Amino acid sequence: MTKFTCDDKANLVAYLYGEVDPATRQAVDDHLAQCVACAAEVTALGGVRSELGLWAPPDVELDFQIVRKTELPRPSVLRPARWWSTVPGWAQAAAAILVVAAGLSIANIQVSSGPEGFSMRTGWMAAPAPAASAPFDGTAVEQQVEQALASLEQQLRAEIRSAREEQASAVSATAADPALLRRVQQLIGEAEQRHERALAARFVEFTRDMNVQRRADLMRIGQGFVNYDDQLMRQRQMLNNVIRISATPQQ
Amino acid sequence: MVATDEELVARSVAGDVEGFNQLVLRWERPIYALAYRVIGRDEDARDVAQETFLRAFRALPGFKGQAKFSSWLYRIALNLCRDWIRRKKRTPLVEMPEGVDVVELASEQGPAESIEDLVARHEMSRIVAEGMKLLPEEQRTAIVLKEYHGLTFQEIADLQNCPLSTVKTRLYQGLSVLRRHLESQGMTRYSSGGD
Repeated sequence: MTKFTCDDKANLVAYLYGEVDPATRQAVDDHLAQCVACAAEVTALGGVRSELGLWAPPDVELDFQIVRKTELPRPSVLRPARWWSTVPGWAQAAAAILVVAAGLSIANIQVSSGPEGFSMRTGWMAAPAPAASAPFDGTAVEQQVEQALASLEQQLRAEIRSAREEQASAVSATAADPALLRRVQQLIGEAEQRHERALAARFVEFTRDMNVQRRADLMRIGQGFVNYDDQLMRQRQMLNNVIRISATPQQ
Repeated sequence: MVATDEELVARSVAGDVEGFNQLVLRWERPIYALAYRVIGRDEDARDVAQETFLRAFRALPGFKGQAKFSSWLYRIALNLCRDWIRRKKRTPLVEMPEGVDVVELASEQGPAESIEDLVARHEMSRIVAEGMKLLPEEQRTAIVLKEYHGLTFQEIADLQNCPLSTVKTRLYQGLSVLRRHLESQGMTRYSSGGD
């Protein structure tokens, strides 16, 4: 038969937490029915256990999440974009051509060819009289220029197309993020609830302060009445003394 | 149907990060609560909880299921708490404000609870937290695991690497210290001869 004694604290704790076999439980029950000290101890420790339930950790938002590096959004605000990086490539190329053309016109470059070969002049000085020579055949040069312009046009069209595609994909990515929108709405809702709770609490505090102030005012008024009574009493006594003195016959 | 821990662990080991995040969602609050009650600081408890899940995620391929996933997490968290206490070389502090902020309290107010009840409840909570601070780390951890996480004596013994009888002794000694502390705070109903 299992026997329980007062100094068997291990079984006492096991009994307290309900982790004992039936035979030990019976032995502890029998002992507690006879031993007042052990019965009081079990009751007291049970009370401590119930008070432990009052200690709760703060109700904080945790939201831990494991995120792969590749899923992390690329930082978009850490480095300010250079102004020209926002201009499409085709526009940059067109601007470059414009600048070169303007430079050429300002410099008044003149290209001529003669028996000595090509010659180039710049500036606004008068051109020397052309020497009599065979006319320059510019057909080959024109063809080269046309080819270069055609390739430039193709390149510009390709850049415009790719820029449009990039813009379209960015727009679809933004639209396909309803989870983020829901999260933002949820955060706004939570913030509103917090504000409402804070407002309610402030109201409770205000009401309590008002009550305290009202009680203090009433006490002050009561005290004022007491002082007034005292003063009245003193004045009456003085008046009585004056009457008494005036009524006393002069010696 | 809700997936079990074991199923989510299997999915995570196979590379499904979302599966592991479901485990995190399921266990982040108990792990945070454990860390908070053992080390007593909100910010540090968050750090410990976060680090627990990071370590678990990294060590997941080595987890062979020899223990319950929760026990494995508890072990990681307790090791981190122990490191924290050793590193800081100080007993755990329990963050308790000097005064009672009614606004803070009102956010925790139950529907049928008056402000006075709420203040009283917080005062009790503060006294209990102070009492827990008095305990040696082993006793405090044993009480936290038993009272707030419902672990068996054997599970606590496994986590604390000690015999079953030692766990019971720690619990008895810890509860006795708490009882004396509550009595010293005027809560005489816990006194043996008080009633």
